[in-house]
Amino acid sequence: MKAVILDGILLGLAFGLLGVGLTLVYGLGGVLNLAHGAFVVVAAMVTSHFISAGQPTALAAAIGVLAGAGAGVAVDLTLMQPVYRQRGEHRTLLGLLLTLGLAFVIEGLLNWRNPSGALYIDVSGNPVHILGVAESAGSLWASAIALATGAVLVAFLAGTTFGRAVRSVIQDETGARLIGISPARVRTVIFALSGGLAGLVAITRAMTAPVTINVGFDLTIFALIVAVVGGLGSVGGAFLAGILLGIVNTVSAYYIGQYITTIVLLGAAALTILIRPRGLLGR
Amino acid sequence: MRGLAAGYFGKQVVHGIDFDVRTGEAVAIIGSNGAGKTTLFRAVAGLLTPMQGRVTLGGKDMTRRPAHRVARAGVAYVPAERHLFPGMTVKTNLVLGAYPHRPDHETLELVLELFAPLKARIHRRAETLSGGEQQMLAVGRALMSKPQLLMLDEPTTGLAPKLAKAAFVALDGLKQKGMTLLVAEQQVPLALSVADRGYVLENGRIRLQGTPAELEQNPEVRRAYLGVA
Amino acid sequence: MGRRAADIARAILPIAATAAVLAVLPQVWFADSTYTTGLVVDALFLAAYGVGFNLIFGSTNQLFLCVGALASVGGYSAAILADKQSVPIIGGVAAGTAIAAAVGGILSWVAVRRSLTVIFTGIVTLVFSLAFENLVLGKRDLTNGDTGLIVTGAATRLADTRLGGYYLFAAVVVAFLIVFRALQLSHVGWAFRSLRDDELAAELAGVAVARYRIYAAVVGSAMIGLTGALYAYSDGFITPATYAFDQIDVPVLVLVAFGGLGTLLGPVIGATVFGFVDHALTTRGQLREALYGAFIIVIFLGFRQGVIPTATALARRLGRRRRSRTPVAPPQPD
Repeated sequence: MKAVILDGILLGLAFGLLGVGLTLVYGLGGVLNLAHGAFVVVAAMVTSHFISAGQPTALAAAIGVLAGAGAGVAVDLTLMQPVYRQRGEHRTLLGLLLTLGLAFVIEGLLNWRNPSGALYIDVSGNPVHILGVAESAGSLWASAIALATGAVLVAFLAGTTFGRAVRSVIQDETGARLIGISPARVRTVIFALSGGLAGLVAITRAMTAPVTINVGFDLTIFALIVAVVGGLGSVGGAFLAGILLGIVNTVSAYYIGQYITTIVLLGAAALTILIRPRGLLGR
Repeated sequence: MRGLAAGYFGKQVVHGIDFDVRTGEAVAIIGSNGAGKTTLFRAVAGLLTPMQGRVTLGGKDMTRRPAHRVARAGVAYVPAERHLFPGMTVKTNLVLGAYPHRPDHETLELVLELFAPLKARIHRRAETLSGGEQQMLAVGRALMSKPQLLMLDEPTTGLAPKLAKAAFVALDGLKQKGMTLLVAEQQVPLALSVADRGYVLENGRIRLQGTPAELEQNPEVRRAYLGVA
Repeated sequence: MGRRAADIARAILPIAATAAVLAVLPQVWFADSTYTTGLVVDALFLAAYGVGFNLIFGSTNQLFLCVGALASVGGYSAAILADKQSVPIIGGVAAGTAIAAAVGGILSWVAVRRSLTVIFTGIVTLVFSLAFENLVLGKRDLTNGDTGLIVTGAATRLADTRLGGYYLFAAVVVAFLIVFRALQLSHVGWAFRSLRDDELAAELAGVAVARYRIYAAVVGSAMIGLTGALYAYSDGFITPATYAFDQIDVPVLVLVAFGGLGTLLGPVIGATVFGFVDHALTTRGQLREALYGAFIIVIFLGFRQGVIPTATALARRLGRRRRSRTPVAPPQPD
């Protein structure tokens, strides 16, 4: 039982990292980025390409993360501009549809060029024992990175001037404009950050299992579930939700079964919307 | 000498308004609901692009500038809806007011002195404050940027008469310290108590203008806004 | 009398025209090719789903991202009943339709009770879609999981030439259009329009917004479930993939939006264009998915309103220009 829960926490940290990018973009601009999983895949493929080209893993990973960030900036400055010109529900709908199309384009192109592409990062090392449970080095590294990233993000948002500016745009966009903050500039930076986070997801996930092109859609769905349960726009919420859902996932998978587990997770998202729409830590 | 001038046809709400505010002055815009005061202010603040006309600040053309650029140019606008950051503390709201600069501790102290209730609740979240306290916070946040021009839209909304009066006493204090004020207000006596000049807005046009004394004497003003037969 | 006749004519004309076209299409075009017939039947399916979705989303603004799931409910209910209970076709289809209608109604009721926004309705129905797909995959004893279920009692002749299927589904689409039109012109349609334009105003005017939303969802879901059940019988074999999100929801969303959300013939026009595009894309092989995505982006960037409203607006503007050139004659004494 202890092993299952610990597994769940480790998995949950990865969930949190996955959801945090999506939740930030939605909180800021009201855009549900259905291409989030596609960004992860892009970063994975870029990293994989550089590794095959003989570059050291760490460098390739860094380039992959940057590629994710770059994709984020590119999308924000182009495809998202007509979306931002809309308001409220129209904006969310248009954003949802355009990013859906984008996801198809990205994954379609990648499938076309490199159908069997996959990224796997071998983190060698003997299993480490935590609290008496053996965990692979890969998943520990992955979770450690996720945890560190989460901490940095929370500190950034709470402590730095720009971080506060980001929160202000999330809480009241007009108010932010009135004190001299440009929501457009903040959105671009956060989209880039979201893309970079997607890149990190690719790297950390690849430490435990190969990342192929087809996981894109599933990743987006998981990110959506985590973001919704945590509260759209809340970084802390995404990680908290991630950990909770991670534990639920492993416990349910262990004791019940895989299909039911997926249903349970999906149900968690639906339940959150129905009972407490603002999520765990949202506004 | 930095002044603000605007000649402007708005969203078919406001028509051909020409007014100006000189440094150190307090100008009141008076009018009932729907007269166009808020539309006018939003245009000046950059939240709305005027259909015609110009807005200038100290000689620089601000007409097409987006709101955040206008704010950085030294215009602090406190709208009727306040637009505070509800989940953030009083302190963070105030600190953000100075964006992009670091908060000036002197200014922060001054603001807290001016609005004692804020000092008492400095670590409470903005959404937990009462209406009057939120109004104070909104003005305080605007002051943190050390603006050249402070615009207030209906600052007494939702305030009890005693608080409303206190608010205008505070505004007068600010004016004495050299702040340039532009205030839209339905409560005419209060507005005129602090203003150097006033404009009466009706159906989107300027109906009358003059000093408080002149306006108070005007029979139309007396009938429509001062409740005098 | 003339005015009344004109109204009736305008109401029926689009549907009559569509029916006429559909009736002669095989002779004119594709009767010899099973493959082409198959393509057209697929397009008819999407059109049928589209009318149902149009009723739910286009008329009452409920983003039901569960068209595939509702079709799956209809299809699997019918198939399981045929398989386990040996229920005849009519019964199976009726049951599938009814259950789908009930599910749709429940989803709508929940959304209404919790005052869900469009996006949250979308997320909840999306979650339902995925959850239902997993349910079907998981309950192997009932559904055979991803191996697929053979629909006993399916008319094999339909599957062979597909022409019988063609006429059946063409009739279904026309029937749906008639229902849609009838609703549009009735007080129900008036209620739909008012609640879509301004929900608060409609509420104040006495329109029972909640009830009409649920009503639309039930009828639309019934259409979708019926189509799904009929598909199961016409094809003879269904798997969860048949009703998958990217197989049904995405194309339906795109084609209805393309044709014009809330319009009568929008789904039909959208399905037609989509059918051609899809066929063109199949020949592109690998690039298919990418081009598909590009198509989606272009549509929603450019054709924001949809083909029919854009065309109507254009026609109106051209008409106005022509009219302004005609000199206005002074009234002549009789």
